[in-house]
Amino acid sequence: MAIINTLAAILVNGLQQGAIFALLGIGLTIILGTMKFLNLAHGALYLLGAYLGLVISQEVTLSNSLLLGFVSDPSAFGLNLSFTVALVLVPLIMFVVGVLMERTVARPFYDRGEVDQLLVTFGLAIVAAEVVKQLMGPNPFPKYNPSTMLGIDVSHPVTLPFAGTFPAWRLLVVVIAFVTIAITYLLIERTDFGLVVQAGTRDSEMVRLLGIDINRSYMVVFGIGAALAGFAGLIGGTIINLTPAMGTDNALVPAFLTIVVGGAGSVVGAILAGFLLGTILAAMQLFYSQWATIVMYSFVAVILITKPEGLFGSVEVEE
Amino acid sequence: MSTDDRTPNLVDRFVALKQQEWFLFTTVAVALLVFPWALIDGLEIVAEFIKTDIGGYTGLPALILIYGIVVIGFNILLGYTGLLSFGHAAFFGGSAYTAALLTRSGFIPELLIKSPILMILIGSLLAVLLAWFIGFLSIRRSGVYFAVLTLTFGQVMYYYAMGPGGWLTNGDDGFTPDPGELLGHFALDQSFPGDLPVLGDLPFLSTLLTDWFYVLVAVTTFLAVVVGYRILKSPYGLIFEALGQNEQRVNFVGLNVFRYKLMAFVISAVFAGVGGALYAMQTLTLHPNGSLYWIISGDFVIMTALGGVGTLFGPIIGAGIFEYIRLVLSGIEIAGYEFGGMWRLLLGGAFVLIIVLFPSGLYGGIKNVASSIAVRFGNTTGRTRERPEHEPAERGGDD
Repeated sequence: MAIINTLAAILVNGLQQGAIFALLGIGLTIILGTMKFLNLAHGALYLLGAYLGLVISQEVTLSNSLLLGFVSDPSAFGLNLSFTVALVLVPLIMFVVGVLMERTVARPFYDRGEVDQLLVTFGLAIVAAEVVKQLMGPNPFPKYNPSTMLGIDVSHPVTLPFAGTFPAWRLLVVVIAFVTIAITYLLIERTDFGLVVQAGTRDSEMVRLLGIDINRSYMVVFGIGAALAGFAGLIGGTIINLTPAMGTDNALVPAFLTIVVGGAGSVVGAILAGFLLGTILAAMQLFYSQWATIVMYSFVAVILITKPEGLFGSVEVEE
Repeated sequence: MSTDDRTPNLVDRFVALKQQEWFLFTTVAVALLVFPWALIDGLEIVAEFIKTDIGGYTGLPALILIYGIVVIGFNILLGYTGLLSFGHAAFFGGSAYTAALLTRSGFIPELLIKSPILMILIGSLLAVLLAWFIGFLSIRRSGVYFAVLTLTFGQVMYYYAMGPGGWLTNGDDGFTPDPGELLGHFALDQSFPGDLPVLGDLPFLSTLLTDWFYVLVAVTTFLAVVVGYRILKSPYGLIFEALGQNEQRVNFVGLNVFRYKLMAFVISAVFAGVGGALYAMQTLTLHPNGSLYWIISGDFVIMTALGGVGTLFGPIIGAGIFEYIRLVLSGIEIAGYEFGGMWRLLLGGAFVLIIVLFPSGLYGGIKNVASSIAVRFGNTTGRTRERPEHEPAERGGDD
């Protein structure tokens, strides 16, 4: 059946795109919900994740790079470890980046109003993109498809019922993203740490009065958000070519669209909205690719106008 | 201080003079007159000394003023009303494309407009209509929701111009406007005063005012400053400022917050539209990336915040610094090292530092220093409109 095949193809593509949106959205939304901090540098974290993944898992040729004078062999730059190693290392490194960012950048701005937060993180996003551009060169790097993952050879296509053939690694990437999303969900919804975070989104002062060190939770939340964004970048690097502009173009704007559709502060909302937007984008790309982004943006505008609290958000989260 | 006991002294007189409207406008007019000379020839003299090519080039002064016009309006929205829009490229680019399309017969053969002034009027008219529509839908949301909403509308226009709207805009290949002659007579790239007999005898004018396009841009900038100043000094402008400081209180006073916010949004769009139409005359190829893309909206934000939100002239200075770094400093070499692509890094770094250190921007910082000098050495004026200390004045500035 042709229709079922098409639908299945849309679903697989939508899940992959949606997983990236959801990962970005969760990170952004827990930072926004917990600390009331608007992070326009979230796309920069995605960018860093993608390039870290590249350097860890591949060997690339550098050109127009500031590093040219410092590396012994510019035609083989990178650790050339496996994609699996990157899967572990990238989130870890990004977690540390997130913690540092919370301490140095975010904390002084908690009391300075939304506009100042947007401005300073927007500036940071530019700086991060430019640093990557200077270090790695302005030219795009081809997307890195992993050939083996977790010891399994994933370079071969597999045939799915209805959907047709897909490269095995793409399916595995979707599965890993799902597992990560599920773990994050459980962490926020089912653990004591998550309870503190959730309480913090309602009334951070009360949490502090109860004797809980909310500053430490803030650091951890920011770290988790950054790790998720970096992880999204790692996955993003397997489906689109890497450019220094990918952080703002392919991550920042979609991440904000995801959280406003899902409802700011809502993890479940971010997950569902991510997959919804991903599926819309995938479906439109299949039929009217020129209109794909336009339809997605228009959809978001309609949601924002008709349901300002988001599809899955609660009204309590302040605007 | 020996001057302390004399009233009014020189500093006081200067401060009083500064507050006169005519003095302000005359200063602006003179500044606009010498601006191209200072930027090109003035810096060239400095360049001779330091053996580094830091001089501007013909066309740069006009470009800086074009963005200056845009950010005067953007600042009314961000600096006073406190609304951060990431969608002003829609008005800038929308106006630029409208103005440009009318100059080519391919669009509507019967409607061929070859008049720069009409281009500005029609372009900004479109910006007003667009802003009314987008503003009406976005203003009810605040903070990040407002920013994202304006961004989505802008991006819809960008992607339309790049993709499905290619039949109209020529998409990724860019569109070449053909603005025609000013007042049906003076070509824009013709040097000033051309064959205008009255001014032909004034050689210094033709040296200062490079070409007719600069004259058009300078006059428009002057008008923009006057209009911007008058708006901000009017009761209307005071309400904008009040909205930025405490929206709730404005509401309690019984004023229609939505209406005033929408008006601030539309007014700022007019400035963006005027700038966009001028940009369409300045640029050789109009491309969505340089006019409609959200990064352009971001550039407006940077220019405004860099120079100083909530001050009339700060954003114009910000626009000047931004474009100067982007177009001149990006080309220079220091100690054999080419700056080249580093300009954005420099700018981004400077931007972050300014946000962290001087919340009121460069101009705001300078103004604070100046006003403390006035307070130190003058004895009657200087702090007349300063806010009380205990009030959080995140978006400082008062003119």
